[in-house]
Amino acid sequence: MSLRRKKFLGTFLLISFFLSFFILEYNFAQQVTQEEQEEATQAKEGQEKIIPSPQNIKESTGIYVFVAWMWIAIFVLIYILKLKIREVDRLLKLRFLSATKK
Amino acid sequence: MKTGIQSWLDERFGLSIITKFLKEKTVPQHKHSIWYYTGSAILLFFTIQIITGFMLVFYYKPTPEGANESVARIMTEVPLGWIIRSVHSWSASFMIAFVFIHLLSPWLSKSYRKPRELTWMSGVFLLVFSLLSGFTGYLLPWDDLSLSATKVGTDIPRSIPLVGVWVTKFLRGGEDVTGDTLTRFFGFHVSIIPVFMFILLAVHIYLIQKQGMSLPLSAEAKKEKVREIPFWPNFVYREMIVWLLLLGILFSLAIFFPPSLEKAAELMAPAPEGIKPEWYFLFLFQTLKIFPAKIFFLPGDTLAVLLILLAGILFFSLPLIDNKPAERKGKIITIIALVLIVYAVVMTVWSLL
Repeated sequence: MSLRRKKFLGTFLLISFFLSFFILEYNFAQQVTQEEQEEATQAKEGQEKIIPSPQNIKESTGIYVFVAWMWIAIFVLIYILKLKIREVDRLLKLRFLSATKK
Repeated sequence: MKTGIQSWLDERFGLSIITKFLKEKTVPQHKHSIWYYTGSAILLFFTIQIITGFMLVFYYKPTPEGANESVARIMTEVPLGWIIRSVHSWSASFMIAFVFIHLLSPWLSKSYRKPRELTWMSGVFLLVFSLLSGFTGYLLPWDDLSLSATKVGTDIPRSIPLVGVWVTKFLRGGEDVTGDTLTRFFGFHVSIIPVFMFILLAVHIYLIQKQGMSLPLSAEAKKEKVREIPFWPNFVYREMIVWLLLLGILFSLAIFFPPSLEKAAELMAPAPEGIKPEWYFLFLFQTLKIFPAKIFFLPGDTLAVLLILLAGILFFSLPLIDNKPAERKGKIITIIALVLIVYAVVMTVWSLL
């Protein structure tokens, strides 16, 4: 994979990673209807213990999408980093980079 | 080749000294190198603590009337608030776990030997402040469980002869756990403890840079030249992989296992059943529980607290006690260390059962 492609892929995944935050927030802030909000408030007043969890299917989907994107982004970044490590280790072996003690 | 911004910054801040240092810094590579990654993991979680802490403090109200309600609001109304709180809580646990692991490596590999005594001591102080941060943060949701656990926790120093009562009063801001304790703990948690941790971290990191990364006793005894790799970029790239994996685990746990919130604490209400501190205090909690009420003429809790204090002082002074790590004395200390680790694990599991 060329460096340009890698950079493109990395940027795309990073943007997707951060965008998934907004997907999640969008579900929380916009998609919950007035009725659902009222129901949730009533239920909240009645219960003694608050256990945070997705309130509806939209929220759960948002969370799963976020987690899936996060792990995909992590594995791609790790793959890129492994390539970089191989490259810098090779340069070290060729004595291009010095490992002299300070 | 330097870019325009780099040159501009370098002219003003002299950044080239830092980059030169990073380029020349090396990291030894041997079979125990994995321990070197724990330090940066602590820094990562500390940074997450600071960032999420800033976010939470925008909504949190440190008063008995508002604390529980504001945490409930963070969890139910503030967009992504429950995730931020969950990440804050999980990263605290991760940070303390990594501080324990980070202290285990020099303990078992004897890296605290001359000239790194102060590095060890600053590390032990960092552990104490991390635990204090966890303890003070536990009260802030102001629910039944946190109130009762704080009552038990702040009552423990009372058993120390001479200063015990004063320490308990100082922690509580009075005779009992009240709204004053909450305000006090909030102050400790968001300003006093972080300031001390920043100072200690700066000293600790400076000492590590000054002395260089230590080699385990076994690697040093071989007298062969250990392979070294440059810190930048070879080691940093490897560290980045660890950070990414830790971030993934942290966020996954924070999303799927967020901490709950009990109903608001009532000062006069009886303590709920099954009060337990956070996992990192469980071995101490269980130790105090198993001590009998009286041993000879001394009260059991006083003896237990004094023994724990003595163990803490000995742990802090290890570099001075274990001054001949390669000899028989050093080997006995390693065996004691292993026994204590097993003891802490057994006590923690016992407490959870």
